[in-house]
Order: sequence, then structure tokens, then C-alpha cells
Amino acid sequence: MTILLAKLAGSIAAILFLAWFARWLKLGGDVRIRSEEQARAIADQVVCGFDPVDIAIDKAGIGALMRDERGRHLLVRRHGAQFAGRLLDHHSDSRLDQNFLTVGTGEKTFGKVTLNLGPQAQKWAAGLRYLRT
Amino acid sequence: MGRRFAVFADMTPALFNPVDYAVPAFVLLVVIEMLWARKRAPEKYEPRDTLTSLALGTGSTVAGALFGSTMLGVAYWGYEFRIATIPWTCWAWVACFVLDDFFYYVFHRSAHRVRWFWAAHVNHHSSQHYNLSTALRQTWTGFFAFTFLFRLPLVFLGFHPAMILFVGAMNLIYQFWIHTEAIGKFPRWFEYLMNTPSHHRVHHATNPRYLDRNYAGVFIIWDRMFGTFTEEVDDEQIRYGIVKQLGTFSLWWSVFHEWVAIARDVWSAPWRHKFSYMWRPPGWSHDNSRDTSEVIRARWLDRQQQPAK
Repeated sequence: MTILLAKLAGSIAAILFLAWFARWLKLGGDVRIRSEEQARAIADQVVCGFDPVDIAIDKAGIGALMRDERGRHLLVRRHGAQFAGRLLDHHSDSRLDQNFLTVGTGEKTFGKVTLNLGPQAQKWAAGLRYLRT
Repeated sequence: MGRRFAVFADMTPALFNPVDYAVPAFVLLVVIEMLWARKRAPEKYEPRDTLTSLALGTGSTVAGALFGSTMLGVAYWGYEFRIATIPWTCWAWVACFVLDDFFYYVFHRSAHRVRWFWAAHVNHHSSQHYNLSTALRQTWTGFFAFTFLFRLPLVFLGFHPAMILFVGAMNLIYQFWIHTEAIGKFPRWFEYLMNTPSHHRVHHATNPRYLDRNYAGVFIIWDRMFGTFTEEVDDEQIRYGIVKQLGTFSLWWSVFHEWVAIARDVWSAPWRHKFSYMWRPPGWSHDNSRDTSEVIRARWLDRQQQPAK
């Protein structure tokens, strides 16, 4: 038992050291969505075949909202050094505050995302409201 | 029954656990790969993802300590029904290693094709990164998915449980170093025979062409034999993780999310479909509202064949 506990303590020390070392080396980087082309590529990664006809990228590039021909709305956001996303449905909720649109997916673990979409925010808020009707 | 196991335990040769000796090398290699990433591609590592992966590794050793004796008990029980007694000879070690790798292939393929097994295995795949820390992203719930049963055929054949445990650990150690993007491809003969970083990158990819491919542990020949092999192509960037990325670094959610999803599906499904949500492939749904890997691949192939807009 003592040996098992010693091994466990050693493992915890090792993982804390490695996580600290990764942070100290500044690994991870600062990923942003910088173009519509990049947003399209991310959309295809998140939902295979999702081909957006309308794209709104957050001013800081931390996320984007996209709509395809079928009217499906896709939310993508930064997740560490990668991107993750969700198709929005009637479970999603949104809140508009001038140029800022806060979008929730209905999944607590995925969280809510606040996007600065500029003047486009209102149009997208209306689109998301339509999803819930 | 307990006394019987005690008798067998006395007969067990004193084998060390090779994983214990490999752990310091694992740590050192992760450090080296991090230094490589800093120089070449810092985005290959993400500190929070690394912490989750390593915590999953540590947790799996705790789960192993908690349930290991039960699994060993089942193995010793099965050994009583063996059809032969295979001696502790050189050829037996080699045969045990090769056969264990074959049964690993069977287990691993099932772990991707049966949702109950997938629920235990998914956390190994849920990182969007592919580096040596991903290799340590091991399951906590393998016991509940009965994955240890896949090694029972070896016991019935007559290989001693201690030998099986030892070669299984060697198999696990081999699979550590192939979880990297720092290594390209090896000479053709090696890539033909062995599982390599290139082959295993394919396995961890979510690109439609790569979904549910390259299940091998040590020898890639099993995939070549059973039609599940796909070669890594140079002109397509690999995306890692799972079809529906978690979007969180939460340790608990990484461990239990698929079990929670199964419970929700079974609860809400019509009676005649409840069991299907446990044994059918991940992505299956009774109303076709979700996509399995076959559907995703078929749709992708269809798009490839359409003329470009």
C-alpha cells in the first residue's frame, strides 16, 4: 500500500511538473480566426461538409458564427490551441448587447461564447431567435 | 475460490511490471518532445490539455490498482479451464506477445465499433492534440466495459496470466512512442510490418478518410489482413480528436461524458431501441438524426466525386 501511494505521489508530482513545463515554454500559442477562408476550413472540420454561405467572425478572432444553405447555424470558438464548435438548435440561447452577441449551446460543459460581431450582431441575433421558434 | 487463487498466486513467477520502469523514460521523452515543439510548432502542445491527459494517465493507474485484482482473479479462474499448459520458454513468450497483439487488435476494433466499449476508450481520443502526453490519456472505466475479457482466449489457450500481463505491459510501452508528430515515416519494410507514428496518426484522425482505421497495437499487419488499414497521405492536414469535440478540458467530463450520453439516450429512447444505444456503433441513432463514421465517410466520398463548384 505504501509503495502504491508513493507511486501515486510520484505520478502527481511528474504531471504537475510537465504541465508547468509546458506553460513555462509558452506552448499552445494564440490561435485566432483571421479570414473567412480559415473560418470555412474550421467549419468543415467541426461538421464535415458544412459549407457556409454567411460568416460573421468575432472582431478579435476568438470565434465565429456561420450559416449554411440549409439554414443551419454553426458556432465555433477557440479551445486552447484548437477550435471546437456546435451546430445550434432550439436548445441554444442568445443575448444581444449592442455589438456583442452571447451564444449558449445548451451544453453546460461547452459554455457560452460572447462574440463582438459589430453591426452584424443584430442580424445574427434575429437568425438565432428564429431557430428557437 | 479465494483459496484456489492463492494457490495459483504462489505459482506465479516473480515478474516485475515493466511499466514502472518505463515511466521515467516517458517523462523524459515528453520533456524532449516539448522542447521540439517549442522550436518547431508550439501549438502541438496545450498545457491544459497536457494536464488533463496526464491526470487521466494517473487516474487509470489508480483504477488499475482498484480493479486489477478482480481482473486477475478472472484470468486465474479462466486458466483452470485451459486446453493446454504452455511452458515458460522463449517461443512461448514470442507467441504470447504476437497473439496478445492480435487480441489487442480485436479489442481495439470493438472499442471503436461498440458504443459500450467506446465509452471507456473515447477519453484516449478526446484530445485535439497528438503528442506523447496523449499516449498517457488512458481509461478509468475499462473495468466496467469488460475490456479485460478480450484477453481471456489467451488464458484458455494455456498462457499463464502473469505472462499475458507482462506482454500486455510491453505492448502498452511500445504504443507510447508512436503518439507523436515529431517523427515522419520509417523505411518501407518497417512501415509495412510495424505500427508507427504515421499509422497511428491516421488512427487518431477525424478526417473522414481516416475514421475507424488502423486499430493495430504493435504489428500493423492485422489491419492489412482484415481490411482496416489506411496509409497517411502527405497533402491533407490531420485533425485529431473525436467527431464531436469536447470543447472542455474538464477531467471528469473527459472520463464520463460518453457514459452520461449513453444513459441519456437509453433513458429517452423508445423501449425497442434502448439496447441499441449500448451496442451499436458510436453515432448511431434510431431516428438517423446522428452520423456514424460510415455515414460521414460516405458523404465525404460523395462530395469528392462531385464536380467542384
